[in-house]
Amino acid sequence: MRKGLILFALLAILASCTTQKPLYTWGNYETTSYNYLKNTDEKSIQELIENYQKVIETQKGTRGVVPPGVCADYGFILLQEGKKEEGKEMLMKEIALYPESKIFIERILKMIEE
Amino acid sequence: MKKILYFTIIVLIVASSCTTTSKIPKSTAYKGIYDEKPVSVLLMPPINRSTNVEAKEYFHSTLNIPIANAGYYVVPPFLSMEILKRESAYDSELFIDAPLTKFGEVFGADVVVFTIIHKWDKSGLAAKVYVEVEYIIKSTKTNEVIYTRKGAVTYDASINSGAGGLAGALVDMAASAINTAVTNYVDVARACNAYTFKDLPAGKYSPTYGTDGAEMSGKKEFRATLNKNYR
Repeated sequence: MRKGLILFALLAILASCTTQKPLYTWGNYETTSYNYLKNTDEKSIQELIENYQKVIETQKGTRGVVPPGVCADYGFILLQEGKKEEGKEMLMKEIALYPESKIFIERILKMIEE
Repeated sequence: MKKILYFTIIVLIVASSCTTTSKIPKSTAYKGIYDEKPVSVLLMPPINRSTNVEAKEYFHSTLNIPIANAGYYVVPPFLSMEILKRESAYDSELFIDAPLTKFGEVFGADVVVFTIIHKWDKSGLAAKVYVEVEYIIKSTKTNEVIYTRKGAVTYDASINSGAGGLAGALVDMAASAINTAVTNYVDVARACNAYTFKDLPAGKYSPTYGTDGAEMSGKKEFRATLNKNYR
């Protein structure tokens, strides 16, 4: 009985060292972002877009919400690809999810209209 | 009595094996963060003082995940980079000692993250990358440094085939050499960032927001050996 308790305590301590489930999941965010930064070619843009879609559609983090910046950056890429309406929609989605982004994103929306 | 003593010793050994903390609680070490409660974080393009020309990109693309996962709002990295470029503010060196009020106004940022890559050296044969990197977070309201850590990280990219013996060692060495050649250096930067920001006080979106002040902060200057498995 006592031994069981000790074992349990040890396991609990060990478990506390391991990583918990993160707030957000990001797919291949880092690699696709790096490839885009480095190459900015057709292939890297396509992979970046696919990863954004995956992060938005299949969010498995504990918050269950799209991580900060993802909708806005995805919108920015869409705008650069000439998809103005879709891009704007994503920028607006960023403000809806994260009101603290309003100052910056509204500035961008204004720039698009100019 | 003896049993309890043994038990305590074991617990202490186990517990200490996973910490590299200082003796200073986060609420003291990062007082500015607990006082100001920043929400929105702007990432500046890393300052590269190393000889590796691509180190800047490795770090830039891996900075926001650990900070967002800690519960902060990270200003969209690509969008903010574009605006910084347009405003000729892409050179972070110009701003590290300058007033940051403007970044608060334009980006809505409460704090700004500067990264300085001091060293990025690789040794091909040993499949190791040695990185020295410094992180500085400054408030856009007070211009004070509210978080800073400097790490000397050895990243081990070697592969162990588990074959053993001389032949196994040779196979490992060859595989490791190939691994550094194509190694995803993004992994190196990711590991450095993840390790450093482990002690970042929890932000607004974290379940431990406002309740982690008693936890110990990490060492201000640290040495660490990391590998691919470090998340």
